[in-house]
Amino acid sequence: MSGIHTSISTLAATAQPASTEIPAPLIPLLSSLTSLIYTIEHLFNKVPGSPIIVRYIKSSYQDDPWRSVLELFLLAFAIRTVLKGRTRGEGEGKSFIKLTEKEIDELVDDFNPLPLADDPTPADSFTLDTVPTIYGPNGIKVKTSANGKTLLNLATPNWCGFIENDKMKQVAIETLGQYGVGTCGPSGFYGTIDVHQKAEADIASFIGTEASIIYSQAFALVSSAIPAFAKRGDIIVADRGVNFGIHKGLQISRSNIKWYAHGDMKDLERVLQSVERDRKRKGGKLTKKFIVAEGIFENDGMLLDLPKVIELKKKYKYRLILDECQSFGMMGAHGRGITEHFGVPANEVDMILGSLANGLATGGGFCAGSQVVCQHQRINSSASVFSASLPAMLATCGSAAIDILKAQPNLMTSLQSNIALFRQQLSKLEGDSKDALISIPSDPNSGLIHIFLLNPPDSLEEEELILQEIVDECQQTSNLLITRARRLRSQEVFEPEPSLKICISGYMARKDVEAAGRGLKAAIVKVCGNIVNKVDADCWFASWVDY
Amino acid sequence: MPRSTRRSGSSGTSTPPSSLSSPPSKPLFPTISLRSSSPSSSSNKELSSSYQGSTPTLTARSSLLNVLTRPHHSAPTTSISMENSTNNSSSDEDTNYSDQSTISSYASSIISGTHMIDKTNLTSEDIAKVYENYLEKPFVNTKSTIKHSEFGHCNNPNWRWTSQWNPDEPIHPAEEPRPPYFTLLTTYISYILLIVIGHMRDFFGKRFRPAEYAHLMPQNGYAALNSDFDSFYTRRLKQRLEDCFARPVTGVAGRTIVCYDRASTDENKTFNLTGTTTRALNVSSYNYLGFASSTGGCADAVEACIKKYGVSGAGPRHDASTLDLHVQTENLVARFLGQESAMVVSMGYATNSTTIPALVGKGCLVISDEFNHASIRFGVRLSGASLRSFKHNDVDDLERILRDVISQGQPRTHRPWKKILLIVEGLYSMEGSLVNLPVLIELKKRYKFYLYVDEAHSVGAMGPNGRGVCDYFGVDPREVDILMGTFTKSFGAAGGYIAGSKQIMDRLRLRSHATAYAESVSPPVLTQIIASMGSIMGVAPPLAAPADIIDDRSDTMSIASRPTAYGPAPTYILPPWMKLPLNLLNGTEGRERLRRLAFNSRYLSSGLRKLGFIVYGHRDSPIIPLLIYNPGKMPWFSQLMLDRLGPDRTPVVVVVVAYPATPLITSRVRFCLSASHTKNDIDLILRACDEVGGLLGMKYGKQTMSVEEVISNAEELVAASF
Repeated sequence: MSGIHTSISTLAATAQPASTEIPAPLIPLLSSLTSLIYTIEHLFNKVPGSPIIVRYIKSSYQDDPWRSVLELFLLAFAIRTVLKGRTRGEGEGKSFIKLTEKEIDELVDDFNPLPLADDPTPADSFTLDTVPTIYGPNGIKVKTSANGKTLLNLATPNWCGFIENDKMKQVAIETLGQYGVGTCGPSGFYGTIDVHQKAEADIASFIGTEASIIYSQAFALVSSAIPAFAKRGDIIVADRGVNFGIHKGLQISRSNIKWYAHGDMKDLERVLQSVERDRKRKGGKLTKKFIVAEGIFENDGMLLDLPKVIELKKKYKYRLILDECQSFGMMGAHGRGITEHFGVPANEVDMILGSLANGLATGGGFCAGSQVVCQHQRINSSASVFSASLPAMLATCGSAAIDILKAQPNLMTSLQSNIALFRQQLSKLEGDSKDALISIPSDPNSGLIHIFLLNPPDSLEEEELILQEIVDECQQTSNLLITRARRLRSQEVFEPEPSLKICISGYMARKDVEAAGRGLKAAIVKVCGNIVNKVDADCWFASWVDY
Repeated sequence: MPRSTRRSGSSGTSTPPSSLSSPPSKPLFPTISLRSSSPSSSSNKELSSSYQGSTPTLTARSSLLNVLTRPHHSAPTTSISMENSTNNSSSDEDTNYSDQSTISSYASSIISGTHMIDKTNLTSEDIAKVYENYLEKPFVNTKSTIKHSEFGHCNNPNWRWTSQWNPDEPIHPAEEPRPPYFTLLTTYISYILLIVIGHMRDFFGKRFRPAEYAHLMPQNGYAALNSDFDSFYTRRLKQRLEDCFARPVTGVAGRTIVCYDRASTDENKTFNLTGTTTRALNVSSYNYLGFASSTGGCADAVEACIKKYGVSGAGPRHDASTLDLHVQTENLVARFLGQESAMVVSMGYATNSTTIPALVGKGCLVISDEFNHASIRFGVRLSGASLRSFKHNDVDDLERILRDVISQGQPRTHRPWKKILLIVEGLYSMEGSLVNLPVLIELKKRYKFYLYVDEAHSVGAMGPNGRGVCDYFGVDPREVDILMGTFTKSFGAAGGYIAGSKQIMDRLRLRSHATAYAESVSPPVLTQIIASMGSIMGVAPPLAAPADIIDDRSDTMSIASRPTAYGPAPTYILPPWMKLPLNLLNGTEGRERLRRLAFNSRYLSSGLRKLGFIVYGHRDSPIIPLLIYNPGKMPWFSQLMLDRLGPDRTPVVVVVVAYPATPLITSRVRFCLSASHTKNDIDLILRACDEVGGLLGMKYGKQTMSVEEVISNAEELVAASF
């Protein structure tokens, strides 16, 4: 009954071992203390269940005093955690400086933030001013001013001429009459329309996977689907040449990212081996491992050696995330992408990301894969859960375009022959000959062609200027609309070299393609020749820098 | 528009309605109760006939009614005649208009729609019969080209309201309504049970039925794709509610929606379509102004656009995929919002996630409301800026944090922050609460942060002119640095916009991920935006168009001209090929829609409160969250609203939301109202909630009115401030 009391008096006894004599002034203090302790004990005993607690404390103390200390410590820690603010940096922290209200007021008065947007530099204005505006419909033939001349459009991805396809317009109008334009809701809340489900089924059966899921924008798809699977602690092995959207996805995933040299399968294997060695050395539990690459690389048009990657992925037990935003609708006998091009079954790739905007000229993107992969994204991929679903007409047009691709393999053959014809025109400027001015790393079968200068000037800005001059020259003399590859300088992870970006369409007439090739060649020769001979551009550039 | 006129009280009652642009005034609530008299007085019939020019036979009582109720809305005469002339080819169609008088009971409201039923004894079969075609056939006879199932016809001019801030009404309730402790306790117990049983099932399932857990366990050297910890909630709670989510639908998500019926035989893992469909009243889609429509002026414009432009926006904006239509839309959006410049992006989510990284970076601080949307959080994470969040809508907490971060500077180095960006939403999609914009503007002056307002839900839905929260609070839009919003919700389109000063927009055009790498907005979507936004603004009568249409990028409105700057758009802002019908072009239709939405929102929100439900949010908000708490009631509520037990049997689809979209215990059902709903629809929702909520014991508050009282007092409830 008086367990606590005795133990406390024992403690007191041990605290004052030598003298039993108590100094006179302390006596009233001690007696009042004793009576206080007695009252507390009395009250405590009234609490139901108190004997159990007392017995517990007593036995644990006798068995192991350290245990009691540890338990007390844990309790204190728990109380501290509960009382502490939830947000990080909440006033605590080592570097927190306590300030008076007056000081804070002064600091607030002195606070002088940078402007939200800094003044545009000449380079910024240059970038904005060189963005063409198309008047009237987009397509093969466009105008860049209200009454301007008609240009051949080599800047917009339109592999099979779906932009001006009348069948698709028809389908879109029919869909409008039934579904309106917007879906007015995310797919989780009455935004899943039957046409979405049909388009998903169509894409899956077209590519040859178990299922697919549609997103309302391809860029958001890429940057959101990757972090839906890859989490902190997982391993991602990625090609150094991947596009911006993938970079953003990798950044959000917070996974452990290893890069391999762009397009270098030996380096890929080396990286995979080193990861394996690392894991063996450190042990630890099995984590998810992904290889991320593009079918046709957006930044230079190169083709992924898919069979080799599949072989390596199987050997080292990785999952492959393949971005086919460029290659879907462009590669393969029916436009199924690089899986069809290489004859690899699509279900060997774990996730195929594709764009309906590039390949099928509608809008949105898709991820094709197994049922588990797609279902997981419906709940866990932020861009799918938190955004309105794709407008119905873009989904039905996607289905319609797939039907056209299935039925008309000649679309692909004419695309390939146009690509070959165009590349043939430029071939004299490539290679090792002394006339060589450009290099084209893009795959010979790729409709997306990036042209790099072989002897670039010292700075990126200068190079962009020269490329823009080629763009302008093409527009003026040969009625061609081409574009520099637009980059987000200073936001890219690995700054891509400046290049010209050409999109060939199978819908273009052969003579147009031939003329385009000739025109571009002439423009390159003219502009680059000028630089070599007269150093004109340097002067121009110098004047521009002064400005 | 001056706020004072709106509250001019009964002095304005006798003045005849003048013009559409005049500010509405309302009487002080309620002076005389008119609701005790006999049912089915058809004063509105008389009202309508008086509009048509025939000799009005106004009794003394109905004229009193007329006088008392009219000032709620600006101009019944004009607006009605506009609507009639455009919606109905002949106005005698309206003689049988029975949008019912405000004095109605359940029976009488139905009876006046039909004539053959004995008015005194109504069986539930009779009611069911009246409601048989309720969702597709209007009670009003009309020859409108817009389908009643997509946009309800509602001619009664009394059922209108103006969405505008009343400074007497607090923006946030002083104290959040709290449920009884018993409810809290049972909710916690439910979750504890769910977690404990779920873990037990996992434990035994993995051992005895490994095949079903294969995707959670490593196999052949591959780690599991789903960590079972991450997916625990999905498998154990969400799967039980799965039938409430992602119901496949078809057609337009307008006033009604057609759902495919489905059934599951394997505990909601998969669903099989039964082959039948159900048309239900739709209070789930973000269709605030009812522009989701397959017919009507906007749809015709979109059709013309598809013929001209095709479907695709093709490549990124900077790669030669900027159409004249994009520039035109951006000019229109900037003018609509009263900002200098604007930019459109092809996806609402991506508007935030690709823009925020272009505004802030390392060394900058983002202060974000704790309930901000996922896309904002995604964008902030991409940007690399530091993040602090403050308690939802708590300006005191915000000020404390501001003083803290400005005085402390960056962590460890104590350097001052480069920029501080405050990101808030105008209207919170799960709470229905409004941002306290006037106070934020004051704080902004003191603490020099930049303000980014995400108006995804509020643009179009709030404010007397539909321009969002700035309009609602009467704040100059240029006091806000960046206005962001989406076109999905109010405009029936897709994508989003960013608007601000020209300098900031140019910066964003250069640095936003979307302009360089994401597909551009597709032309039909742009057309829908132009048509719907233009019809809210109204387009001024044709004037001489300026020489170069496209280069109207810096459309500057002088500060002196505001806030009346929310005027009609100049004609040249529409593409020359776009032909809009008169009612869209002159803005009457848009104004009607804004005012119908405002009435519907305030009515349902007030009504549910009176019925004893716990409802969050502001009464002017078209998003109305009704608290459920107990997770077990969620699927029941959703199911019972669909398979109605009440006599009218009209199914209603609702959205139920739970953790992680809301805090753990406050599971809720969220109603999203629309201008396409008629008052009868709201009555129906109130009855359905009364019936189902009563059955499930969801009236956690104190019920002060019966449902029939609420319905008959609709206008007073809307006008009242409580």
